[in-house]
Amino acid sequence: MSPDLSCLVHWILFLPLVVAAFSAVVLRRAGTIAAWLSTATAFVIAYLAWIVLSQVPGDLVWHVKLANFGQMELGFGYLLNAHARLMLFVVSFVAAWIHLFSIGYMADDEAKGRFFAGLSIFMFSILGIVVADNLLMTFIFWELVGFSSYMLIAHYFDKDFAAAASKKAFITNRVGDLGFILGLAFCLQHFGTLNFADLAAHQPAGGWPIALGALLMCGFLGKSAQFPLHVWLTDAMAGPTPVSALIHAATMVAAGVYFMARIFFLMTPEVLEIIAISGASMAALGGLCALAQTDIKKSLAYSTLAHLGIMACALGLGHPELALLHMTMHAFFKATLFLGAGSVIHGCHHEQNMLQMGGLLKKMPITATAFIIATLSNCAVPFFAGWYSKDAIIEAAFHGHHYVAFGLLAIAALATCLYSARMVRLVFLGSAQSEAAEHAHESPWTMTVPLVILGVVFSLAAGFATSFLIPANATVSIAEPLHEMAFSFTAPATWVGLLSLLAGWAALKFYGIFPGKDSLQVFSPRTYHLLEHRWVDSFYEWYLHKVQRRAAEFIAFLDLLLINGVIGRWIAAGIPAVLGYFTGRTLHRGQTRGYALWIILGTLLLAWCFLAR
Amino acid sequence: MEHTTLAHHLLLAGLLFVIGLTGVLIRRNLLVVYMCLELMLTAATLALVAFSRFNHLMDGAVLVFFVITVAAAEVAVGLALIVALFRQRGTVQSDALNSLHD
Amino acid sequence: MPDGLFIFFAALTLGAAALLVLSRNPVTSAMGMILALVGVAADFFLLDAYFLGVLQVLVYAGAVMVLFLFIIMLMNSDDPTGAYPWKTLALGLATFFLLSAGVLWLFQWSGAVPSIATGPTPPELSNVPSEFTTSAKSFGRLLYSKYLLPLEIAGFLLLVALVGVVSLSKDSNSTAQN
Repeated sequence: MSPDLSCLVHWILFLPLVVAAFSAVVLRRAGTIAAWLSTATAFVIAYLAWIVLSQVPGDLVWHVKLANFGQMELGFGYLLNAHARLMLFVVSFVAAWIHLFSIGYMADDEAKGRFFAGLSIFMFSILGIVVADNLLMTFIFWELVGFSSYMLIAHYFDKDFAAAASKKAFITNRVGDLGFILGLAFCLQHFGTLNFADLAAHQPAGGWPIALGALLMCGFLGKSAQFPLHVWLTDAMAGPTPVSALIHAATMVAAGVYFMARIFFLMTPEVLEIIAISGASMAALGGLCALAQTDIKKSLAYSTLAHLGIMACALGLGHPELALLHMTMHAFFKATLFLGAGSVIHGCHHEQNMLQMGGLLKKMPITATAFIIATLSNCAVPFFAGWYSKDAIIEAAFHGHHYVAFGLLAIAALATCLYSARMVRLVFLGSAQSEAAEHAHESPWTMTVPLVILGVVFSLAAGFATSFLIPANATVSIAEPLHEMAFSFTAPATWVGLLSLLAGWAALKFYGIFPGKDSLQVFSPRTYHLLEHRWVDSFYEWYLHKVQRRAAEFIAFLDLLLINGVIGRWIAAGIPAVLGYFTGRTLHRGQTRGYALWIILGTLLLAWCFLAR
Repeated sequence: MEHTTLAHHLLLAGLLFVIGLTGVLIRRNLLVVYMCLELMLTAATLALVAFSRFNHLMDGAVLVFFVITVAAAEVAVGLALIVALFRQRGTVQSDALNSLHD
Repeated sequence: MPDGLFIFFAALTLGAAALLVLSRNPVTSAMGMILALVGVAADFFLLDAYFLGVLQVLVYAGAVMVLFLFIIMLMNSDDPTGAYPWKTLALGLATFFLLSAGVLWLFQWSGAVPSIATGPTPPELSNVPSEFTTSAKSFGRLLYSKYLLPLEIAGFLLLVALVGVVSLSKDSNSTAQN
């Protein structure tokens, strides 16, 4: 409430923008300086966020009106409620460590200046989403996030697949954002305001709110990579690994979940039902598809899809606080997993194929430890961070009598354990399968420190030691589910979890049978192919080439026939031609002043018509 | 200026407009024609200011502000067009520019 | 009978405009134009529109006419020396006299224009937000409240003009080669 604290929020929000501009303009060639500057900024932001979180007693509200356009107000403001405080902590904290990791990972890159400027721009955008107090501001920063994601995926823009992937991510997000902006328009028409606080005062009723919720949901589907707009996330792995960790695992995709939790009051039961079912299906499918990926990052990307599905399901079940809890825990362990993958890729000289790795446990002990702990958290081993949120969501599905979601989530849990075990087995255990893995080496301290902090400390202990690790002010919204979590043998979620862990143990053995090959592919190539094939991508391809293109060609033909032919050739050119035939001798002398004279006469005639009445 | 009435200003504006119009009609150099057009525009702004003043309302004067802005943009584009024309044809005499007739 | 200053500036304006129309040399025409614009600006001052007067001198007499002079010198194109065709002259003179007569009749003798003089603002208008004042501040207030959208459009128009001029003044031969 007090002015100096909103001033701190100004600093948090605009510092990265200034740094990004400075890096982009001045430090293009001095990549190392830009890297350290950007990283220092990220840590300063984390510190400032910590101050804000520990000093502000309750909600922080600050608003300034920029302009009025008729009924519509263009405002800029902050609303730091319980959800926003949690997200602020997660974003600033995780981002700071990922910045540090990037210094090591990008050490040999030639375009470090651009990369770190991009990271800072991303920080600015995501923090804008976190603090925004109205839908329009959220939308603007939402688009900025999309832009910075595009820019960072295309970091290796000279590679065709990276350029294509960034384009795909951008366009897919635009499809979702179309729904978002239509939702904004509906919201404005229906409620006359876009402020969260004012919107919360109105209770949705009748037919429009369903459309409104569904439209706003589209933005979430795009940004959080939910079905049917999930196709971009796996391709987005073409970007540098820290980008995947920060944007496409920990924060940006989670921003969709955060946004939904923030406007939860606008959601009607019908919309929530859709979100629950589609989220749970996404969770199950994403987990299964992860089994058929050889690229370590793509496998993790499918895992992210699965977890986003779980969060969406929690939202749909009417538990936004559980979704946020899972978002927080997921941010910790998934960031670790991606950073670990980055460290592995870095250590193996940019080898991303898991089948070419193996036996890295001995060569990269710190990375391996952090990765395995994060994996256990991912599998929801009791008392690891992931257990608190994931089991709670499965439990909630069961107690909400939503057995479809429960079943799908159980499959997701099972699949999680399977692909996690596969990943650990292929990458860290067994023997080295290639020259690169043979000569793997541990990464420098800038990469291992974030791994230890995020992996060993947070992925392990974020659940039971929350009060020590996260400012209490940030955890208000998730405190209740955290404390309620208890290990009980009678709960169905526990049974699902334990069975999954057993299956994971079996998978660990199963994937050791054929060194250098994927066991599932050997045993059942058809199943493997079924999971590997990108059905939705193929469908889009078919739709674009066979349907949309045909339609466009047909419309182009109509245009040629009607507009160019009938209207252009006959009507627009014909009438003047006929008139010109009769008047060509008198009116059209090709002299400028002749035309001017006719204009004057016409004007006088018009003036006489209007004035002489 | 107790004795200067609205009609006097309008008369001045009208005469200026007519002079500009005559210039547009009789001159052959496109540049001079263009200047005459600008003169007509100025005459119109003069009438606007006069109306604004004698009606005690600001809106006419604000409109003049916009007219000046638009005229500046228009002059820039128009002159660029004349230069482009000169490059292509080597002349800016309107008599020579009658290819529309053919 | 109008006061002396008005008559002086009106005569100056009309004379300069006549110079613009009648001079054979484009540079002389441009000088006449500048004089006419300054005369109009002076008339703005007599109408208490000081801000517009300054703007008129700055934008028109300053920027626009300098642009004209540049182009005139760039092209170096005097009128051909031959006499005007009599048809053109007759047309021009006829238009001039007819329309002048029309203007004189409309504004002086028809009675269509009320013969009001300036005076204090009538009380019913003194509280209108767009009351006529001499300060530039009231321009700003109107421009950023009632006329905000036109202002934005005008700004955009300037940008478009800028882009248009750049693209127009590119050498068409060099673009043809590309």
